[in-house]
Amino acid sequence: MTKNRIPLGPFHPLLEEAEYFELQIEGETVVDLDMEIGWMHRGHEYISEQKNFTQSIYLVERICGICSTSHPIACVRAIEDIDNLEIPIRAKYIRSLVGELERIHSHLLWLGLAGHFIGYDTVWMWAWKYRETVLEMMEIISGNRNHYGMMRVGGVGKDVKPKDIPDLLDKLDMIDEKMEMIAKVANDDPVLKARLKGVGVLSHEQAINYCATGPTSRASGVPGDVRRDDPHDAYGMLDFDVITAENGDVYDKLVVRVLEILESSKIIRQCLDKLSEVEGPILNNVEEISPGEGIGRYEAPRGEVFHYIRSDGSNRPVRHKVRAPSYVNIPTYEASCKGISVSDALITLASVDPCYCCTERSLKIRSDSEEKPDLLELSKQKTERIRREYNGN
Amino acid sequence: MSKVDEFRDKFKDVISQEIEKKGRYYFNITNENLRTIARYLFEEMGCRLSTATGTEMEDHLQIIYHFSHDKTGQYFCPRVVIKDKDNPQVDSIVPIVMGAKWIERELFDFWGIKFKDHPDMRRLLALNHPAKLDKPMRYKEEQYDQE
Amino acid sequence: MSWYNKRLAKSLWVFHVSASPCNNCDIEILDLLTPKYDIERFGIKLVGSIRHADVMLVSGIVNQKIEPRIKRLYSQAPKPIFVVAIGSCMSSQGVFRESYNRCKEVKEVVPVDMWIPGCPPKPEAMIEGVAKLIGVLNE
Repeated sequence: MTKNRIPLGPFHPLLEEAEYFELQIEGETVVDLDMEIGWMHRGHEYISEQKNFTQSIYLVERICGICSTSHPIACVRAIEDIDNLEIPIRAKYIRSLVGELERIHSHLLWLGLAGHFIGYDTVWMWAWKYRETVLEMMEIISGNRNHYGMMRVGGVGKDVKPKDIPDLLDKLDMIDEKMEMIAKVANDDPVLKARLKGVGVLSHEQAINYCATGPTSRASGVPGDVRRDDPHDAYGMLDFDVITAENGDVYDKLVVRVLEILESSKIIRQCLDKLSEVEGPILNNVEEISPGEGIGRYEAPRGEVFHYIRSDGSNRPVRHKVRAPSYVNIPTYEASCKGISVSDALITLASVDPCYCCTERSLKIRSDSEEKPDLLELSKQKTERIRREYNGN
Repeated sequence: MSKVDEFRDKFKDVISQEIEKKGRYYFNITNENLRTIARYLFEEMGCRLSTATGTEMEDHLQIIYHFSHDKTGQYFCPRVVIKDKDNPQVDSIVPIVMGAKWIERELFDFWGIKFKDHPDMRRLLALNHPAKLDKPMRYKEEQYDQE
Repeated sequence: MSWYNKRLAKSLWVFHVSASPCNNCDIEILDLLTPKYDIERFGIKLVGSIRHADVMLVSGIVNQKIEPRIKRLYSQAPKPIFVVAIGSCMSSQGVFRESYNRCKEVKEVVPVDMWIPGCPPKPEAMIEGVAKLIGVLNE
């Protein structure tokens, strides 16, 4: 049979980032796959080496807008690892709290997009609606929806105020309730099972051989989780389970992520409990960084984030290496895409169906907005109101 | 007996310049022993290759491989020093660890390090780059600068 | 032209181009479609191809590898097309200004009609920006 080539990208309909895939197909079966990346290359490592340690933390936040606290945690841990610095106990709980909130929002984001990719737009709208609640919690804690700017070398930059905690718990209750509903949907829905079971299987051996991390490997039965294996921050003092599944197909990845959301919410509850008891400083003063090398890692929503920093005693890193989890997870496509049909390959690659067919509503708007408060003003007022209500000033 | 001691006993002839910290173990090896050590770490001990870092020093290039022993949270970091900066060449570990494929392609892209027996030695991030780079990316920033 | 613009303003079709951003602006753009902000009530819809679009949303610093592709996308678009630059990266290249892989100036790659700065801009700011564009079209 003749081989055909399907080029995909770099601008697909829908998929956020630009990547180029080339599928080799025989009939409808994918026999080979090639990828080209580099469309997003901005040279972070080089820029970071021109900046000082404090600036680097804000820079690594902008590696990825979704993991925008995982990279800073890994980065500050790498700097702290050079001198084996300890951070205050309250800061430990705040770090874990912010990290877990981010995990919930990232998994919900993926869940919604995955639902959209298989034509299940209800899941998309639901998941993203509840995700807004998480972003609001973030706004209460850090003052921003994304790019929180919480991490510092030696602790965290902002404290969680005790009077915010009841509101945070209320919002968490709501998320828990909805997540149990979504977990039930994932367990019971015959359509989801029929569509996703046995699609894009990554076997246990392949997951080990490709060094995959995060939910990608845990769905294949490799129980690696940095939070448990290399306990740092508050994770050594918290009680949580590492979720694994056995089959390694798309359905198992979905189940692992949904169950991880529930685990994260368990961790957040414990953190908030402790934060209302534990008192003390949140930031140790770090005068200088001695020469040496340090490795910091953190279990981001997608897997292990790895930062390596070498210092020569000055205020700048001489080498800063960053490895994001997707970097090791993307090459597993080679294993999981071979031998499946083209339509399944698109889900496995999570690039997809451009159907946005729910625009039935339209509204006439005029340009006489001078008389009404404009939206930006309303947004500022909203932030002010949230601040007032939750901080009481 | 900890994993590090066990490892050190087995390979005490080939490793040098050890640095041991809490949970981190750096040591120097030569290119000839790279594959033996990678095979032992990956297959016998069940480590996972996190990544490899290339660094340019004044008179040499070095690659640090970061093997993570997930059961104990211990990092094993063998460091390979390459004296020949103009034509750097190292043995590839892709035949042992499949996950090293992109990691080694990136090192080739950034530092120009060639990996022997690598199945697919192309650039990674600067593949088909319009600037028609003929040198490793990090050596000369000027070649990118159009201004 | 005003006849065309007035009709255009009722249903702007938007194509989103990510030109080496940090992904955050993109996620916030998708956020606009979901129930809390629901930008579809203005008749705005994300489409899958630039050939169907009236507005091109661009985010990111535009690195050298993607620069020719952005030019090509712009040339493929049916005219008139309005280019809206989202995020601080687009207006000033932000923290990535020292990168070796950036292009010279974004506005030399594509002619930009509107800038919405912020890192990332809040969804309200984006809706405000798009509403202003509709206001201009209606004049």
